[in-house]
Amino acid sequence: MILAFFRNLFRDLVRQPLRTFLTLSGVTWGTFAVILLLAFGTGIGKQQMKQFRGMGQSIILVFPGQTTMTYNGLPKGRRIQVTPDELPLLQARLPGIRALSPEFISSRNIRHGREQLLNTVRGVDVPFERIRNTIPGQGRFINEYDVEQHRRNCFLGATIAKNLFKGMEPVGKQVMIEGVPFTVVGVMIEKDQNSNYNGMRDTHCAFIPWTTYMTLYGVKYVQNFIVQPSDPALSKQTIAALRNYFGERLGFNPLDKDALFVWDFSDFERQFNVFFTAFNIFLGIIGSFTLLVGGVGVASIMLVVVEERIREIGIKLAVGAKRRAIMWQFFAEANCIILIGGTIGFLLAALLLALLPAKQLEEYIGIPKLNPLVGIVTVLILLAIGTISGLTPARRAAATDPIVALRK
Amino acid sequence: MIEFRNISKVYKMGEVEFVALKGVFITVQKGDFISIMGPSGSGKSTLMNIIGCLDTPSEGSYYLEGKNVSGLTFDQLSTIRNRKVGFVFQNFNLLPYASAYENIELPMLFNGKKGAERKARVDELLEMVGLAPWAKHRPTEMSGGQQQRVAIARALAMDPPIILADEPTGNLDSKSGHEIMEIFSQLWKGGRTILMVTHDPAIAAFSKSTIRLLDGAVQANGIPN
Ligand SMILES: Nc1ncnc2c1ncn2[C@@H]1O[C@H](COP(=O)(O)OP(=O)(O)O)[C@@H](O)[C@H]1O
Ligand SMILES: [Mg+2]
Repeated sequence: MILAFFRNLFRDLVRQPLRTFLTLSGVTWGTFAVILLLAFGTGIGKQQMKQFRGMGQSIILVFPGQTTMTYNGLPKGRRIQVTPDELPLLQARLPGIRALSPEFISSRNIRHGREQLLNTVRGVDVPFERIRNTIPGQGRFINEYDVEQHRRNCFLGATIAKNLFKGMEPVGKQVMIEGVPFTVVGVMIEKDQNSNYNGMRDTHCAFIPWTTYMTLYGVKYVQNFIVQPSDPALSKQTIAALRNYFGERLGFNPLDKDALFVWDFSDFERQFNVFFTAFNIFLGIIGSFTLLVGGVGVASIMLVVVEERIREIGIKLAVGAKRRAIMWQFFAEANCIILIGGTIGFLLAALLLALLPAKQLEEYIGIPKLNPLVGIVTVLILLAIGTISGLTPARRAAATDPIVALRK
Repeated sequence: MIEFRNISKVYKMGEVEFVALKGVFITVQKGDFISIMGPSGSGKSTLMNIIGCLDTPSEGSYYLEGKNVSGLTFDQLSTIRNRKVGFVFQNFNLLPYASAYENIELPMLFNGKKGAERKARVDELLEMVGLAPWAKHRPTEMSGGQQQRVAIARALAMDPPIILADEPTGNLDSKSGHEIMEIFSQLWKGGRTILMVTHDPAIAAFSKSTIRLLDGAVQANGIPN
């Protein structure tokens, strides 16, 4: 029975090569489109998220600003300024903060030998490494002793290290920052980063202990500070608590958004995830429509096949086939065609993805991958299309009147 | 075994109605061998199709082995076609792309008989109709007489008590026709009930009695041969 089924299928497929080609190519193309769209969709999403996390994962950036509301008799337009010693107090008072770092930023002359650059110097605390993903590729990041003892140690981004040292090993060497010698203690790995604030991207920056920064450059107030919440889902609450705390302490209305300007990455990440899920569903739907067109092709071909095989159906009914048996035969046949077309489309898509110059494309669209989710979604769509396009011809076949069929 | 009580069949073609059978009463006993004769268009095939549950009457009741068949569902009728009656057609109605073996096996595929059981039965039937060497051949490679013998073997696959043959020799030369009738005689002697449509008195002579139809009505019944 199974054997006879495949023989029938094969016969139907080879008897009309052009028809078979057109039918299969519809499904093949549809599957190809669905897979590529989904693979690129997820690839782009992943890449964006990765670049985005170059800034750090689920962090909250806080920029002290100017009041725009009066508060307890104080006029508006006052500058809000935060000294670094406020931060340990904040962490002690507020639950839900995993890590915290002040940040001082300015452009400075940085020199090594004859190479001289004007790049961003960031004065930061030890937790900055974990908060902002400034992972050392060589050496280490700024540590506690550097901060305690105002050491003149610095940590370099990969690009600035390359530009200053031209292939030489930087760790342990000296660089001059505004004429003051610093020892390079580490160099950051290369990383993607698609957003930034104040100054250059991390890969162009030199990082020094914030204590050293304050003494050398004579500043009192932080440019901004960075908070990493223990639970990114609770970032909104953490921000509200933070505004309340500083509002009372520094005298501003906690509802005054400009007194403390906040950039909440976890909120952004949430929206970003929602956006990309929607984006992928959209791509999936577009692909499904292409596939649906292929499915309609299969359905109409199968209707013709039913017509061609009406005598066979009549004979089977006459010797005792139930309607269900006839239905299954044609339903399975439609699904087999879809399966064959789908498999070819799948292989073509996999081939294309394998041949793609992934490295060159990675920065822009990520690496499109045939991940299991893409596979599962495609199979589900194919099943749905198979059901839709198999049902009509199968029903038509099963509704055959044996008398009428045998007279043909 | 077969009882028709006032069976009528009306074909509707748009506005026009055509009465193919009107008020037919017949009774067939177990072990009968009956010829059905009558001019073309007199309703012989219609009668056979109703007996074989390929078609349903417009009016009246049909009792098969004492059970009323009218009102059964399509799938219940399929079961009857599978187990109770074996149909032999004038134009053989074999699957053209399937071998003799596969054609004979076909009815057994629709009720879950085991592979080994099916093979034994097909081999036995091929032997019986003298076509064992032709098992792998397709109908297109066989003579009309051979094709009709495959069709008879297929009708017997499920070992039904009733054989219905609608002009089984109509497309055959007289030698092949007589070979086919020899097989029917054997089957009858083996205890099967046989109803057969024919125009040919020489063929009808193989049966025990004849029913004559005219314009959809029974003109004469039980004419002994
Ligand atoms: N499905 C049908 N639709 C309309 N008319 C039919 C149909 N089947 C048979 N008939 C008509 O019924 C009459 C009897 O047909 P049939 O039983 O095949 O006669 P017979 O077999 O005796 O030649 C014929 O006139 C035929 O045209
Ligand atoms: Mg006829």
